[in-house]
Amino acid sequence: MKSARIARTVRIITVLLFCLAVSVVTGYSAQENVCVKCHGSLPGKYGEPVTLWKTSVHAENGIYCNECHGGDPQDMANAMKPDRGFKGVPKETVIPETCGRCHVGVLKDYLESAHGKRLGSGGPTCISCHGNHAIRKASLDLINEKTCTRCHPYERARLMKLAMQETEGQITALDARIQTLKIHGKASEVMEQGLFSARNRFHTLFHDVLVEKVRNESAAIRKDLDVIGAQIDSIDHAEQKRKMAGAAAVGGVLIAAFLFWLLSKSYDK
Amino acid sequence: MTLFTKLNKWVEVRFGISEVVEKEMTGYLLPRTINSWYSLGSVLLFAFVLQIFSGILLLIYYVPDADKAFKSVSVIMNEIPFGWLIRLCHAVGSNLMVATLFLHMFSVLFMGSYKKPRELQWVSGFTLLNLVMGISLTGYLLPWSQLSFWATTVATNSVGAVPVIGEFLVEFIRGGKLVGPPTLGRFFAIHVAVLPLVIAGLIGAHLFFLKRTGISTPPSRSAAAKTTWLGETYRYEKHEGGIPFFPNFFLHDMTSVSIYFACLLGVVFFSPYLFFTPDSFVPANPFQTPAHIKPEWYFLANYQTLKIFPSEIIGLTVQGAAMTFIALLPFVDRGDKRYPLNRPLFMVCAIGGIALFIALSIWGHLS
Repeated sequence: MKSARIARTVRIITVLLFCLAVSVVTGYSAQENVCVKCHGSLPGKYGEPVTLWKTSVHAENGIYCNECHGGDPQDMANAMKPDRGFKGVPKETVIPETCGRCHVGVLKDYLESAHGKRLGSGGPTCISCHGNHAIRKASLDLINEKTCTRCHPYERARLMKLAMQETEGQITALDARIQTLKIHGKASEVMEQGLFSARNRFHTLFHDVLVEKVRNESAAIRKDLDVIGAQIDSIDHAEQKRKMAGAAAVGGVLIAAFLFWLLSKSYDK
Repeated sequence: MTLFTKLNKWVEVRFGISEVVEKEMTGYLLPRTINSWYSLGSVLLFAFVLQIFSGILLLIYYVPDADKAFKSVSVIMNEIPFGWLIRLCHAVGSNLMVATLFLHMFSVLFMGSYKKPRELQWVSGFTLLNLVMGISLTGYLLPWSQLSFWATTVATNSVGAVPVIGEFLVEFIRGGKLVGPPTLGRFFAIHVAVLPLVIAGLIGAHLFFLKRTGISTPPSRSAAAKTTWLGETYRYEKHEGGIPFFPNFFLHDMTSVSIYFACLLGVVFFSPYLFFTPDSFVPANPFQTPAHIKPEWYFLANYQTLKIFPSEIIGLTVQGAAMTFIALLPFVDRGDKRYPLNRPLFMVCAIGGIALFIALSIWGHLS
């Protein structure tokens, strides 16, 4: 009887220990990405991609190595086996397709552009301008003499950048103003959607190389941005009016307080 | 005879209003040395009425449904005419009401007005403070924002530290394992129906006790300021030669109420987001915990107390002991002296206690 109870207790403890071990292992693997963990500890060219990736827009948004290179990020022993989807370094011709799995609209713009039309015959791919591991977010800073002159003269790119600079500044400023409205509980959804749409249209110009088209499109986008700006201005204006009304209300109540006090003093005498 | 005179006579012969006015207003005498601290009660009454009034208006458009609550508050703030004003008055008003309650309690403490025969006034007042904090806590969840969702999660979690029944209590309060739609339903019912009624009833009791004992005389260094009541028979503290409540002290009350209202409007119009964080305007997301969720300023000391002790149960016990001590203060401090400088031990304890509360709140805010 006693030995049966001991055996049952041992069985329960064994099951509990097993559950604990499983939960520790699964908890560990869910939190850690084995690519980052292993390569991050390696020196030289094997560890450098992780160092660069940590500075990238992908790292900021939780996009890990396996999204582009494939493999199993939760199984250290089999992480780089082809049967786990490991692809290694994507070939030059499949780079746009790899990036395009997430950036669908951008892939279309790229393939229609002069850059995309020269894919596989010396033309640039996504990583030529955005980098491969230290991937940079699309911005006008990517259009610069150092990058562009690796393949062609800078003049045309400079003209396009000039045409787009004002628009980008306007988008950045409007975004900051909308964020301020948002943290103050103002209804900003419509403006946000408008800005999102305008920004997307603007980003499609990044892969275009026709100066006049970029100028005209950029000007049209600025007109849409002006409408959003006017909506924000009207909210700011209403806020100013509220403050004026508030000053009058607070002043009126304070005058009432003073009059009550004066009257009470006259009664006290 | 004018219409007004006729109407006045009609009411007079039926209800004897002039007798009521004489007894409760012009003939209701208060001590000649009465000060502005005594008007905080009227300020609180005004604040409560304002909360009820603004709350009823908010009820017209607020939807107590987890899927619609946040949107309905957003509509009140952005689309309903003057909805922003009503909502801000309600939210800012709750914070100012708690602050005024603290001031009222401190003034009663320092003037020794809680001493016999006014023990029940103190107990009912202290209970009111806790109920107002409770109604503020339940109201905090209603906008169903990230702040309200996670602050309620943190607040209800602490109840789990109660031995044996802790988990059951948490589940009972939340209506489930986690904060969710049933919690919103419960908090809404408590916030708009249960607590306002209980608070209104207790305010009535508080005023009844005040009327039956008579208002206390402000303490002074003289021996006459001692509590002289022996506790053998009922006695109403009269103030012969005092000032009438109406118009004299009523005008003092109106001055204080106007200053309170000016402060409220000042915050509403010029610093409307003083009591809001950016998380207050993001819809609740049970899957995304914001980085720095803190309770409202008046719960920061409790929050920090729970954190500084090695286990939550010790923190809860310490808080419970402190609250019980404050609630029963008139039965512990039974001396006759009321003038603060004649009570050095009390002064050290009271100022030390307030300093500790402020220090814990600042620590809780910065931690």
